[in-house]
Amino acid sequence: MAAKVNKKRRSAVQSVVCPLIFGIALIAAWQTGLLHIVLNTDEYVLPYPTRIITIIGENSDKIMTNVWASVQVAVLGLIFGSLLGYLIAIFATVFPKYGSGGLTIVSAFNAIPIVALAPVIINWTKDVSSEAEVRSAVAKVIVVTVVSMASMSVNAYRGLTELPPFSDDLMKTYAAGRLTEFVKLRLPNSVPYIFTALRVSVPGSVISALVSEYFAEYITGVGRQIRENILIAQYSTAWAYIVTACIIGIVMYAVLMVIEAIVLKKRR
Amino acid sequence: MNVERIKNAEIMLDNVGMTYDAADGKKVQALTSVTMDIQKGEFISLLGPSGCGKTTLLRIIADLLQPTSGKVLIGGETPKEARLKRKYGMVFQSAVLYDWRTVIKNIELPLEIIHEGKAERRERAVKMLDLVGLSEFANHYPRQLSGGMQQRVGIARALALQPEILLMDEPFSALDEFTREKLHIDLLKIWRKTNKTIIFVTHNISESVFLSDRVCVLSPHPGRLSAVIDIDLPRPRTMEIRDTPEFTALVAKVRNSFEGV
Amino acid sequence: MKAIRKIVNSKAFVTLVWIAVIIIIWEICAARVAEVKRTPENVLPHLSGVIDSLTSDRKINGSQTALGMVLENAGATLSRAAVGYVIGIAAGFILALLMSLSGIIEKIAFPYLMLIQLIPILGMAPIINAITGDIAVSRIVIAAILTFYPVAANTLAGFKAVRREAHELMYSYAANKLQLYTKTMIPACIPYFFTGLKISAPMAITASILVDTLQGGIGLGCLLSQSLKGAMTRYVFWDIVFFSAVIGILSFYIMGLIETLLCPYKRLEKKGR
Repeated sequence: MAAKVNKKRRSAVQSVVCPLIFGIALIAAWQTGLLHIVLNTDEYVLPYPTRIITIIGENSDKIMTNVWASVQVAVLGLIFGSLLGYLIAIFATVFPKYGSGGLTIVSAFNAIPIVALAPVIINWTKDVSSEAEVRSAVAKVIVVTVVSMASMSVNAYRGLTELPPFSDDLMKTYAAGRLTEFVKLRLPNSVPYIFTALRVSVPGSVISALVSEYFAEYITGVGRQIRENILIAQYSTAWAYIVTACIIGIVMYAVLMVIEAIVLKKRR
Repeated sequence: MNVERIKNAEIMLDNVGMTYDAADGKKVQALTSVTMDIQKGEFISLLGPSGCGKTTLLRIIADLLQPTSGKVLIGGETPKEARLKRKYGMVFQSAVLYDWRTVIKNIELPLEIIHEGKAERRERAVKMLDLVGLSEFANHYPRQLSGGMQQRVGIARALALQPEILLMDEPFSALDEFTREKLHIDLLKIWRKTNKTIIFVTHNISESVFLSDRVCVLSPHPGRLSAVIDIDLPRPRTMEIRDTPEFTALVAKVRNSFEGV
Repeated sequence: MKAIRKIVNSKAFVTLVWIAVIIIIWEICAARVAEVKRTPENVLPHLSGVIDSLTSDRKINGSQTALGMVLENAGATLSRAAVGYVIGIAAGFILALLMSLSGIIEKIAFPYLMLIQLIPILGMAPIINAITGDIAVSRIVIAAILTFYPVAANTLAGFKAVRREAHELMYSYAANKLQLYTKTMIPACIPYFFTGLKISAPMAITASILVDTLQGGIGLGCLLSQSLKGAMTRYVFWDIVFFSAVIGILSFYIMGLIETLLCPYKRLEKKGR
């Protein structure tokens, strides 16, 4: 018995220690230049981790400004896109025939490359404001909105329609109206599905925010900085922004996990 | 251990026990000292409520679990040796058919594992399919079949390797009563034709009485063999036998043999 | 009468109605734009204009028509995307297989597999271009990395979804590990594997186009940047937008089509268990 408990504990320890060893080995290979030999590159294009950290420290003010610009775009787009996606899902639930057909169209939008989408939307938002900063931000938020919308609408529709067996019949026996059925049954049923959608669209929103910055008129944001610094061959600075971009992605996902754990706590 | 016992019994269980570790670190006795012999060609039911250890016992015989105490011998060999010699055919609660294979290819699956030739494989599979009465569905896919038909394919597949022992874990519990009664008759026919030893796990009293030569009653907390009841109803058994007073009396006898439920 | 009703109620008809609605809205907006803007094709051209530009035989750079130019550049972009896609699929599948075979490999790789999807790989495109030094290689590498995660994660989920009874069945046959995988695990994970392929096909194309924009030369993204900068008619830009949208959507459906061809049982209606 003790042996079995030990085995379980050992397995848990392993699943932390093993990846940690791998990660440390990777960073060590990077710092010692082994990685450069493998990738056939030099420490100029791929600076050592210590150098990248130094750069981040030195430029923290400037980096934070750009992080703020990117995060704002990603979060606003995510909120608008998710709300819009959920509304589409509600529409599709209320009008099943034309609604689910519309969902097919919306999910097809998902397959449109952002690279094609971003310049179009930047074109369309030229007249929104006389200030380049504002109209670029609007364009970027719209790109993220479109990208986040699809995953939310498809998943929320499933949440609103894939009900526990007989639960809609149960509602009918209560002679509940459509609105009551919606509020008491469909809405709560869709909550876990909302998180399924967000698990896809949170990383997606960060990526599409960074990519839409490439095409924007106004030069700001972590993604744009990666590109601008490479154009002027400032690779260490570019790497500082890449590391920052990764941290944004991870932090936003972690925040989502915390919110999900709190919201879905009672269901488990 | 008695040499005579080893020689005669197809399956010999000697003081078999199983202890689990629960999450809170306590020991749970899933099964305590089960001793019994099963003869070749016998139809045995392991009957009991959930938690009585009947499935645990089946899984120990099938070499899916190692008992923490006692000994199991299958024709004088360990369960592992018997499994490696492919002496077992398993039938589960759900048919576990492979969606991507047609019915006939599902039955051929175990024959592919033992590298049987293509022609031989097909011939044997056709024979098995005929045995379960589904010849015309050979090229259907499992999801085109009803639950009862799927389970029959599962039985055909289990028989394809020509095992000596058929291990059945609540195979009919997910079917409706009408289908189940039909499959009881079919199973008994197949059993008579193939002369296998069958160990049949169930929680349905009348099912166990109808099918078996002997019903092993298991009781929970801790899981133990509380009675073995001989079912001396005549064979071949038909639907009508359920209406006889003998049948009813045996059902009552089995029901009364449970302890602490 | 019945036939008409059947058509009207079909899913394809509903989709067509939606497409028609979108086209009408587009055209209304385009008409409005044409009234107020000096160069309407910069903002929203009429669809007829886009189609005209594709079908016209006017040479736009001395030697090529717009269509010829788009197709030639698409060839460069898509072939690299395809190579990266295939490499990513192979790598993803092999990693999932190794993770399923070895507990240690699974433990090492699992957190990193999760991390990969959180890292904005597309944002790293410029640096990967700098490391490889060759735009063609960068396209392949980035398309491969983006394909890798969805394929690996979905295939692994497929392996994990194999029911315990199926494992026990193979165990009772005393099947070896190779047989367990070829007869049970791999066929069972095919639908999951294709989910990964469907997700990553448009991503591989997006990646390849994006990498194009980083550097001059040949490629859809490169052409797109040039057209935006005014180096050639704006219609080339719109041609590329529509072309890449169609290719992205098609890639998704082509994967679905291949799946149904490989798995005939998927076409069948499910009956009760």
